[in-house]
Amino acid sequence: MSEALVTVNALSHEFDISKPWLNRVLEGEGRQVVKAVSDVSLSIPRGQTFGLVGESGCGKSTIARLMVGLMPPSSGQVRFDGVEVGGIGWADQRRRVQMIFQDPFASLNPRWRIQWILAEPIRTFALLKDGAAISERVGELLRLVGLDPLDGQKYPHEFSGGQRQRIAIARALASEPDFIVCDEPTSALDVSVQAQVLNLMRELQQRLGLTYLLISHDLAVVRHMSDLIGVMYLGRLVEVAAKKHLFEAPAHPYTRLLLDAVPDVEILDRPEAAGRRTAISGEIPSPIDPPSGCAFHPRCPLRFAPCDTQRPDLAEHDGAQVACHALNAK
Amino acid sequence: MGVEDAAINTQPLLSVRDLRIEFPLRRGTTLVAVDGISFDVKRGEILGIVGESGAGKSLTGQSVIGLLEAPGRIAGGKILLDGQRIDNLAEAEMKKLRGARIGMVFQDPLTSLNPLYRVGAQIVETIRTHLNVDEATAQERAVSLLREVGLPAAEQRMSAYPHQLSGGMRQRVVIALALCAEPELVIADEPTTALDVSVQTQVIQVLKQSCAERGAAVVLITHDMGVVAEIADRVAVMYAGCIAEIGPVAQVIRRPRHPYTVGLMGTIPHLRADVASLVQVPGVMPRLTAIPQGCAFHPRCPHTFEHCTRERPMLTQADETATACWLWTPEEEVRNGKAANVRADDE
Repeated sequence: MSEALVTVNALSHEFDISKPWLNRVLEGEGRQVVKAVSDVSLSIPRGQTFGLVGESGCGKSTIARLMVGLMPPSSGQVRFDGVEVGGIGWADQRRRVQMIFQDPFASLNPRWRIQWILAEPIRTFALLKDGAAISERVGELLRLVGLDPLDGQKYPHEFSGGQRQRIAIARALASEPDFIVCDEPTSALDVSVQAQVLNLMRELQQRLGLTYLLISHDLAVVRHMSDLIGVMYLGRLVEVAAKKHLFEAPAHPYTRLLLDAVPDVEILDRPEAAGRRTAISGEIPSPIDPPSGCAFHPRCPLRFAPCDTQRPDLAEHDGAQVACHALNAK
Repeated sequence: MGVEDAAINTQPLLSVRDLRIEFPLRRGTTLVAVDGISFDVKRGEILGIVGESGAGKSLTGQSVIGLLEAPGRIAGGKILLDGQRIDNLAEAEMKKLRGARIGMVFQDPLTSLNPLYRVGAQIVETIRTHLNVDEATAQERAVSLLREVGLPAAEQRMSAYPHQLSGGMRQRVVIALALCAEPELVIADEPTTALDVSVQTQVIQVLKQSCAERGAAVVLITHDMGVVAEIADRVAVMYAGCIAEIGPVAQVIRRPRHPYTVGLMGTIPHLRADVASLVQVPGVMPRLTAIPQGCAFHPRCPHTFEHCTRERPMLTQADETATACWLWTPEEEVRNGKAANVRADDE
């Protein structure tokens, strides 16, 4: 495995959701915080894709924002190529980290022509000075994502969702990044368009040697795109494993149930399984008041004595990193 | 047409015939959102309707239950419930039918429940509107319904407001609401799209079980092939306002015939297998204002031949699956061009 381009070390982020000061004083309540991300550590090797899966509210998008420095972490740090994100020397590295957002209808300025949108990163980072060179580069970027250079004249509303997401990808590529954080890049798209965008992302990765952090709630998309996969539950990583390993031998009970729960066309090949698939009981608890110990314990079929009091840490288990008492005890 | 022959033996619960939904635009032009679709739903059957956004799936569902929003209107064809036309009923008549004989589950449970009323009150109200029972009986029924859809602590939850429930629980309440008058047909429009994966399976199982116990038929509108594979008996694939292919789930998903269905299945990333690269259907679904002549899929189709650009193919039955594609139409018909097929494509 090649060296890590991005390392995340004990990253935590808390959101303060307290009531206003006067209310707290009058009602005698203290501050209230949501631990959106707690104690997450991972590393992403250069040129690979790290897939982050989890259900809504598990902190995936918060991690994305922390990784590109859109928010400072409460504690812990993200290091990109040896430089701490938001720390000394980060300004010089900023260009090398980009992000693709979920909703291509909200992430492009509707009043800007596509060529301005694509030229902005080039101007901001002063990659090219001369106007003619910039417009040439913009045309090149549009071709790279399968659009026509003449499309640069148009406004975002003239494009379909898939085309807008291509533009968002082109914008991310404009500053010649090494690392792109993709936060649910295809969940607003139809499947046939999703396939086009995913194929484009893979092709660009191979051509430009990009490193991706892919965040998605769709396990099939993550499987298709990733080399390494991390599964999150209520702000914590519960399992990190190579793709093949995770899908063939999921270890953490949450991963196993999640894989089993996804409605999949493959069910047609095992009609006997249709009636008795083990749906996960219950739903995700509120992150404001997560269960004690292992956050998954109220829904877990393997829970035993220490689960509701002690929090398990990630530990090596059969070639994967798993945070589970039941597995680590063995 | 094959579809109709098969329907003679046993009368289907729901029959949609040549349904056409239009939206008037300015300057007297109209936009055809659903263009002459026909399908049947048997009693107790689950029919999945899949397609990409803008294919006309939801409009089809809305017109069956009479909730098509103006300016959209049914411009042609008919909808029969148990042999009775329901597309031309007066609003008062439709009101009696809606909820009583046809239930509806919407995509977003937060908008389909009234945030100002307790969950129990909403169910009791619906029960008492449709069934002639007293308050106490309705209460009892509501609790047993909530229990049936798997709402934990159903009695206490009767007095909860919708915002106090999680997304999965709300959708269970909506399913209970749809079922409370024992409808014969339930229209479920993207019932699991707003839910997390671990909850999706729970909810579709509840929907399937509750409907199976009552013998209620379901029209399940979704874009998720996985959900369809999980619970539907038959599936209709829609493209640009037409049905491209309709047949038993296993056949359509495993041995798709229409090039669009073939492409669609190839574009779905696999959960249990690795594929080098996903199949790409080039282009996007045409806008409704610019649906191509002939077969709407022909500009994206890898098998297009000359005839496809001229004339729109009709659904042609071969064994249990009907496909609207010239490749699957007997050759002499392609050559002669059935008179009935020369539709108003140039309208």
